[in-house]
Amino acid sequence: MLLLEFITLVLIFTAFLCLYRVVVGPRAGGRIIAVNVIGTKTVVLLVLIGFIYDSLYFVDVALVYALFNFIMTLAVSKYLEMGRI
Amino acid sequence: MKKTTKKQTESIVIRTMSRIMIPFIQLFGLYVIIHGEASPGGGFQGGVILGTSIILLAIVFDLREAERRMPWKVITAFMCVGLLIYSGIGLLDLLSGGAYLEYTKLPLPLPAHEISALSILFVEIGIGITVMAVIILLFYYLVGDQNAS
Repeated sequence: MLLLEFITLVLIFTAFLCLYRVVVGPRAGGRIIAVNVIGTKTVVLLVLIGFIYDSLYFVDVALVYALFNFIMTLAVSKYLEMGRI
Repeated sequence: MKKTTKKQTESIVIRTMSRIMIPFIQLFGLYVIIHGEASPGGGFQGGVILGTSIILLAIVFDLREAERRMPWKVITAFMCVGLLIYSGIGLLDLLSGGAYLEYTKLPLPLPAHEISALSILFVEIGIGITVMAVIILLFYYLVGDQNAS
């Protein structure tokens, strides 16, 4: 169980590395990819936390988070490409 | 400007993926609404997920396509019907001798906790319908204003 908590902490640390790339990223495309990666990491983190606490409810939250992350990425990409939604 | 007049705005991968995903999103929204009292979520969250499916349709295809599937009249009707369900259950409780939204006073031949669970389910369904309609309406207003200018 200690291994899972270690993996969780490492994932949080790498999410902050991605956050650095979101803040100072040179281009908009890289920022979108970085936000997407943070969202994917958050989904994995939620499932890991659910496994640690032995609760299935976190899987529901992870599904909703993945769904909203997908739609957010689509909307921002379309707005960047077309200038409107 | 020439790009914006195209009929199909996104690539075929996105379109096919969304066409596969939208029914499952709606199914998951219904699951969140109906299991609202036993798991995280509830009427509001399930309504947001249901509205998100139509927002995904409007993003991927077009606003016209979304308006064809979910017209403004239907949205207005959904808002009113959800509000009517919510306040109707509250008024039924009021008419049967309890306080507003005091579920256990309903004259049904069931145990008290089952009446309460049934009433909470209907209240959650009403909240879900209203929230779905309002979320889609907000999105229509935002995007429509952006397209008009």
